[in-house]
Amino acid sequence: MESSFRRGAREGMRDFLPLSVGLVPWAIVTGIAMRSIGLSPLEAMGMNLLVYAGTAQLGTLPLIGSGAPLWLIFLTAMVLNLRFVIFSATLAPVFHDHRFMRRLASSYLLVDGMFAVGADKLQRADDPHWRWGYYIVPSAYCWLLWQLCGIVGVFGAGVIPQDWSLEFMTTIALTVMMIPMLREKPMWVAALVGGLGAVLLRELPLRLGLIAGIALGIAAGFIAERALSGRAER
Amino acid sequence: MIEGVMSEGLWLWLTLLAIGSTTIMTRGSFILAGEKGRLPPALQRALRYAPAAALSALVVPDLLLDGGGVDPFNPKLAAGLVVIVVATRWRNPWLPFILGMAVLLVLRKGAGW
Repeated sequence: MESSFRRGAREGMRDFLPLSVGLVPWAIVTGIAMRSIGLSPLEAMGMNLLVYAGTAQLGTLPLIGSGAPLWLIFLTAMVLNLRFVIFSATLAPVFHDHRFMRRLASSYLLVDGMFAVGADKLQRADDPHWRWGYYIVPSAYCWLLWQLCGIVGVFGAGVIPQDWSLEFMTTIALTVMMIPMLREKPMWVAALVGGLGAVLLRELPLRLGLIAGIALGIAAGFIAERALSGRAER
Repeated sequence: MIEGVMSEGLWLWLTLLAIGSTTIMTRGSFILAGEKGRLPPALQRALRYAPAAALSALVVPDLLLDGGGVDPFNPKLAAGLVVIVVATRWRNPWLPFILGMAVLLVLRKGAGW
């Protein structure tokens, strides 16, 4: 008789495996991008371990590279990771009866892909062992894949000539990440106002323009959502 | 000199730790608390716009600004537009990187733009 942990693990892997293939280029690109701003291989691998969040890593690289102040780097990473607060609130009941160390591991390993694939099933399953297997095994596999492919990028970057503007890979990655978000109109407004706000406010001291642009973008998206839904009701 | 390099390395590791702390703080916010906490719905909806606004605030200045001023005709913007077209049309995850870098390099090195 197979344990419910193993049954959960098998089903989780079956659900997550197809998605994980798409992670490979991201991990490699992130590895290259970290080296392109001058991180040593050790520092780049350290960042992959300590941060383990592609968007926050890629988003803060240009700031680290240009010597931005620590508080700005911290705030930007926080904003880029804010969506995880929603994921965490959704999944909190799923891990409610687990010990602290397990909840810590689940938190560190929580990524967009696993949430997208598994949040529904995790919330509906009654057996805590099944849920643990379903979540932790694919999440650990995802972590391993990210670290290994990241190493490929970190060392692969050394082969590419220095003057190839590799730092632009970061901009490409951030652009590609943004595109699927822009399916709804309010998201468009948030992105447009955020982007143009950051351009127009770039002369602000302490590089406050970036944070101000982001705040304006969030507010604009929220206002646009209200305006659009209000119009639909009428 | 060596001291300068040392402290720079230490500063970088501190920066990486600070960025990493946001990963645990956000992902663990409710899971670690262990309570069945709920996020106010208005806040939850506002937070949905954070990633799009932040990514755009990072990308748009990089694409529009060249040498300090707004320049609508620069190789980065041209490459960025190619990336957007490629990423919306095809599902291949490598293609935006290969074509985006190719356009940038051809314009910068080939055409000397």
